[in-house]
Amino acid sequence: MKKINWLLTALVLIISCVPSQIKGQEKKRMYGNTPIEIFPYNNYQKAYKYFFVEPKQFYGPGREKLAPKDLKEVRIGLLGPLEGSNLMPLGKQMLQGAKLAMEEANAKGGYRGLPFKLMIHNDVGLWGAAANEVVKMDEEGVWAWIGSIDGNVSHVSLRMDLKLEIPIVNTGDSDPTYTECGIPWLIRVISDDRQSNYALINQIYNKDKHSRVAVLRTSNRYGRVGIANFTDAAVRIGHPIVIEERFDDGDTDFKQQLERVKKLNVDAILIWGNAKESAFILRQIKTMGMKQAIYGSDRMVSTEFLKIAGKDAEGIITTSPYNPDANSLPLAAFQSNYAKRFGSEPDVFAAHAYDGMNLIIKAIQKVGLNRALIRDVLTDLKTFQGYQGVTGKIILDESWNDIGDIYMAAVQNGQFKFSVSPPIVLKKH
Amino acid sequence: MKKIMKTALRKPIKSTLLIIAVLGLGSMGFILTDKNPAHPNAQLTANGSAMDKSVLVSKNDFDNASSKTETKAMPIYGHWRTFTEKDGLPANKAYSIRIDGNRVLVGTHEGLAVYEQGKWRTYTTKDGLAHNGILSIDVSQLTGDVWLGTMGGLTRWSAGKFEKFTQFNSGLPNDIVYGVLCDGKDVWVATAGGAGHFDTFTKSWEIFTEKNAPMHEPWTYGVSTGEGKIFIAAWGGGVIEYTKKTKKFRDYTDPDGKMEIDLLPDDGVVHNVTTGTSWANGYLWVSTYFGLSRYDGVHWKGYFDHDSGLTSNFINFIRAVGPIAYVCTDKGLSTTDGQNWVTYAKNENDYNGKVTITKGNKKTSTASTPSISNNFVLSVDVKDGIIWIATSKGISRGELLK
Repeated sequence: MKKINWLLTALVLIISCVPSQIKGQEKKRMYGNTPIEIFPYNNYQKAYKYFFVEPKQFYGPGREKLAPKDLKEVRIGLLGPLEGSNLMPLGKQMLQGAKLAMEEANAKGGYRGLPFKLMIHNDVGLWGAAANEVVKMDEEGVWAWIGSIDGNVSHVSLRMDLKLEIPIVNTGDSDPTYTECGIPWLIRVISDDRQSNYALINQIYNKDKHSRVAVLRTSNRYGRVGIANFTDAAVRIGHPIVIEERFDDGDTDFKQQLERVKKLNVDAILIWGNAKESAFILRQIKTMGMKQAIYGSDRMVSTEFLKIAGKDAEGIITTSPYNPDANSLPLAAFQSNYAKRFGSEPDVFAAHAYDGMNLIIKAIQKVGLNRALIRDVLTDLKTFQGYQGVTGKIILDESWNDIGDIYMAAVQNGQFKFSVSPPIVLKKH
Repeated sequence: MKKIMKTALRKPIKSTLLIIAVLGLGSMGFILTDKNPAHPNAQLTANGSAMDKSVLVSKNDFDNASSKTETKAMPIYGHWRTFTEKDGLPANKAYSIRIDGNRVLVGTHEGLAVYEQGKWRTYTTKDGLAHNGILSIDVSQLTGDVWLGTMGGLTRWSAGKFEKFTQFNSGLPNDIVYGVLCDGKDVWVATAGGAGHFDTFTKSWEIFTEKNAPMHEPWTYGVSTGEGKIFIAAWGGGVIEYTKKTKKFRDYTDPDGKMEIDLLPDDGVVHNVTTGTSWANGYLWVSTYFGLSRYDGVHWKGYFDHDSGLTSNFINFIRAVGPIAYVCTDKGLSTTDGQNWVTYAKNENDYNGKVTITKGNKKTSTASTPSISNNFVLSVDVKDGIIWIATSKGISRGELLK
């Protein structure tokens, strides 16, 4: 009898809930590899509308346009932090990776005998300058472009790009909201901070069994947006971060922030910033005698970080969008050719720019010189889905965001050692 | 009441079944009568052929929905005429359009086109424009000056002369001017580097960014005015409202705070990536790439392509005129009074198209010969029974059907 009563009561509740969601979206999918346990509000109610569950199409005209007949070169743009930015070293690597891919394509005949030409644009300057640079790229007649790294720059340029309708392959911006604007001219071939955040949640809380975590993050957009999914997920699994401290790019003294962290008896610290500041923070943590486990963002995976942090880097764990030590012939060839061409080791931004530029070149070779058709082939989730680049297999989701493998990077004996991030298994709080 | 409660406790099964019946009937009633304001139980009255129909809605429905709504008919446009490069436009791609008295101003990718007395005339950077790509247009009711937001600065067209405002020679926040608004003596702009306010009397500029306004970032996209307020569409920041009298800002964002969902459709803007705002008849309409929102000063209402007559969630631009919102999407032009919808879309392979009328869950379509020039609609303006739309492939002029 009791069972029947319970069943009937449940039926009453189900029926009474129907009206509120009667017009809600029927199809539902967890976007961005998000575990169901930490999908926003999922523990409490179904959302009325789920975005990014299917790719947006471009319904405008342009596919009928014929390529100009008097071309002497095929122009592809690059937008990056090349002057006046603390991200210049990253921008330089991006530029060199793109250059190498283009030079290799030109050595093989370019596009039907026409050489590819890189149209280089600096993204730093007056506020909104990146949008002005996109206008210039349109005037130059680029067929597609790659870039950039900074989230502000990417968003500003994306809005202008939508008006001008130029395909973008982003190879360096990890801001999750970038591909969440729903613009059908953009694909991203580097894993974003959402993927990185989930991998860190898995590592810190599940694998390493920490529960009291402090966050030190840069105060700019990279820090604010980059850590957001970690913070949210930590709450949803029942371990809200204990304290979030901020610092500015260029800071060298973090004593005040660390003193506050020290008082709170945390068992792990997550640092989210550029390589230089992260290394200084790490050194100061050790100097202050703090013994907590240290985790960080993928920007720490650099020779600059290892050089500044020295032996203090031992044992820290970060994520990495790819594995530079992977047993891959294309990767080995790229690393060798890059070193010969530029006299230095390629980093993550060089490798992804190399893959991104190759994708654009292959798209042009497949469909010709038409922006809409290049967009179509880059976004069809078939032609280049699973593309095997030097950074690994590129898997795009319905928002054209790379949700392929992400790696954990741990410093051992002064070097980063890489391993695939294990599947996330979370306990519902 | 006590007796009912006692009975319910003694006979739980029967009571539960009774509750099920009541709630079930209630739910069915909800479904059938559909009290969602987007789908009222209104009456459609039509005269003549389908193309000559106006969607007439009973007064009671509007009284129930809102006292602000005055007009009872959804206008339907037809007799479309398309203009392209062949007719004298400098480019087929038209970003913006504005009716100015007896002439029409069109912002194209290759300059300003002016249609007057049946002829087109083009103005470019050679004539003094800041840039040939004209993203936005407005006309000052005070002076008759035409203000053009371009990809290379702001241009004022006054007494036959063009004057440039750039980020280098003025207080313009950025040279990419997505939106421009004339409001009395004031000109407001939405740019890639923040919103700007230019007082044409004092010739002074104010710049509003995340430093002095509640924007997440200074990425503004559209600007409109109404009820003594300025409404700025901020990419990623929802709507920024500025009250002219108090000079105070406030923002309206999606309360769920998540890019990947809209938890509740009527709790605020449906998404924070907003593309435009337009105020008319007591309503603020907000367009996004994820759906449409309407705000009456107290309540928000969300509209999506799966629950209304909105033809696509990807909205490039919006303009509200009187009780009607004209919604420029990537799949055609939708018009709505908040309850009924009329959508104009072109066939893929010919010049014809169809007009789709949505009333509640009922959709009726009829052929349109010819149709609008292209379904990727970027701007619209309406005046005195004439509608002009700018698309990615030509512009179209339609007439209100009697």
